Amino acid sequence: MVTDLLYNPGPNTIHGISRLRGGGKIESQREPVRSRRAREMEVLRLPLSASQKGRLISAGYTSIASLSSISPSQLALELKISETEVLEILKTASDGSRLESTGSSRTIVHGAQSAWDMLQEEETLVRITTSCADLDYILGGGISCKEVTEIGGVPGIGKTQLGIQLAVNVQIPSDYGGLGGKAVYIDTEGSFMVERALQIAEACSDDMVEYSCLYRKGSQACEVKRQPKDFLENIFYFRVCSYTEQIALINYLEKFITEHKDVKVVIIDSVTFHFRQDFDDMALRTRLLSGMALKLMKLARNFGVAVVLLNQVTTKYSDGSFHLALALGDSWSHASTNRIILHWNGNERYAYIDKSPSLRSASAPYSVTAKGIRNSASNNKRIKHT
Amino acid sequence: MRPDNLLLRPTHTQYCTLGCPILDAFLGGGIPCNSITELVSESGCGKTQLALQLLFTAQLPLHLNGLSASSLYLYSEFPFPNRRFTQLLESFRLSHPILFASSRDPRDYIFTRDCQTAHDLFDVLLQLESRLEKPKETRLDIKLIVIDSIAALFRSEFENNPRDLKRRSSLFFKISSILKSHARRFGIAIVLTNQVVDSMEDNEGSSGIRVGNLEWLYTSGRRVCPALGLSWANCVNSRLFLSRYEVTDGVENDSLDAGYSGFVNRRKMRELHVVFAPHLPYSSCEFVITREGVSGVAK
Repeated sequence: MVTDLLYNPGPNTIHGISRLRGGGKIESQREPVRSRRAREMEVLRLPLSASQKGRLISAGYTSIASLSSISPSQLALELKISETEVLEILKTASDGSRLESTGSSRTIVHGAQSAWDMLQEEETLVRITTSCADLDYILGGGISCKEVTEIGGVPGIGKTQLGIQLAVNVQIPSDYGGLGGKAVYIDTEGSFMVERALQIAEACSDDMVEYSCLYRKGSQACEVKRQPKDFLENIFYFRVCSYTEQIALINYLEKFITEHKDVKVVIIDSVTFHFRQDFDDMALRTRLLSGMALKLMKLARNFGVAVVLLNQVTTKYSDGSFHLALALGDSWSHASTNRIILHWNGNERYAYIDKSPSLRSASAPYSVTAKGIRNSASNNKRIKHT
Repeated sequence: MRPDNLLLRPTHTQYCTLGCPILDAFLGGGIPCNSITELVSESGCGKTQLALQLLFTAQLPLHLNGLSASSLYLYSEFPFPNRRFTQLLESFRLSHPILFASSRDPRDYIFTRDCQTAHDLFDVLLQLESRLEKPKETRLDIKLIVIDSIAALFRSEFENNPRDLKRRSSLFFKISSILKSHARRFGIAIVLTNQVVDSMEDNEGSSGIRVGNLEWLYTSGRRVCPALGLSWANCVNSRLFLSRYEVTDGVENDSLDAGYSGFVNRRKMRELHVVFAPHLPYSSCEFVITREGVSGVAK
């Protein structure tokens, strides 16, 4: 991510602008070059058409402040455009300046953010609970939106279960501490079973009833229980049968999510299946995979959705012995922001954070019950920080 | 591309009955359509029995939880079990006398084909597609495909070196993918049988490769694991394990001499386990094989 500190007007610049307010064409010679350049950029940064920007700059209106006190009719005369258009311009300019002053450093170049913004954003970042308290704890509250999380493990460890659980949990309304979003579920293996989704949804709505009884006694004690079928309605299920279909679908997702803004999680179960067949040209596979990874990252960032990729494991031969590794090779390991490995430890299922820029590496037990993913049955605290 | 509306789909997957209410209840309704179910066991545990039985039950009408359709039996272990097939046919006719009056022979609705190699199987599956698209013309209204067994196809052709193993696992995914795509397009239930190999691993350090609910699969007192390894395990949706062991019952006196063991009533116990399945938790169920077929034993 490009963090543009150069064009980031600090308090000085704002002060400078306020001194110049009203005198649009005056330029202080003593101003430092950097902030002058920043002010020259201001009009360019506004979401205006190129011709409008051109007219403004040629008439000498380069900073937003220069537009703040001018009368619309005068500006219309100077720019030789209609007054309605001028009003539009002034409105965008004032919107722009408001953002400038409140956020102190808003998005400057499109898509750029300061580290401060990113920190603030991360603090307000919403997370999708896994319904397993121990797992949520090591994940800092759940699967985070705006990031790509990869979850891998052997067959039967509960990847699909976790996937279905997340597709249900993303729908928990905000009154109950959830996101109230919808889910896109991309099934490449055919393991998604409606019965199971209904079971998990049923348990989730039971939990919500219990929650409202416990914490909101009196107020709306008897709320209408959410029907498990309502949960199914909010899962957009895609079944893909080849890797070309998979890539086409991921390309289409951007459009789909633009139309369905309330989608908050995209689950691909599994990202691997179609890429483990029929690839003689491994270079092609790597290119396709990294292209897909980029698309998914962009999707996560632009729409603030959590992207969850389920991956298989394979045996890897190195140093004279076989050991387990997530499939799709080394270059794929850059595709996800967070990597969680599910594994057996004796008779218990464990999740281990293998890679994450913000979470410490830790492992926690979980179990797969009739209700879905839950805390491990034995109560003693066994979260290990390694 | 449009998402499937999960509400428009029947909220319950279609299942094919096993012909036994206890086993059906155990499996949440039977063998699910649109999915691959694998039966794993050592030889002589009943996987072929169960597979043959399904060929008949798939023909049952929908109100009897059948699929009301034909089935395809692809076999790679020779010869075709003709004797057992005929036995099952008789008992099936006897149990459904009205449905299968003399005019309608259940055998007309069972298609068989032998497969020698994995590539052979792949070709058969490729050819099948165009025929499944026109069920009326080709009379191939198939809703169940049984492959008995998948392991035999891969046993001979591939060497144990990295290159062949890679080729093999690529073929696994190819076959699995085409099966799943047929299953999806035509709503077919797919049943595969797989053999076991003896597990030689020591107790430590193997929990990472543990697949499914059971830490170890035991049958006839041996510790086994399903053939074809980890990458194949990724290719199936559900895996069921059939085990057998001997129990002695009817004897309360433990002080019997070894010489009297002839009097001990030894009995074969057979159990069906869910190793992993997206819709079922771990559980196990005892079953017996009789002349009439495979049936579950109520707990």
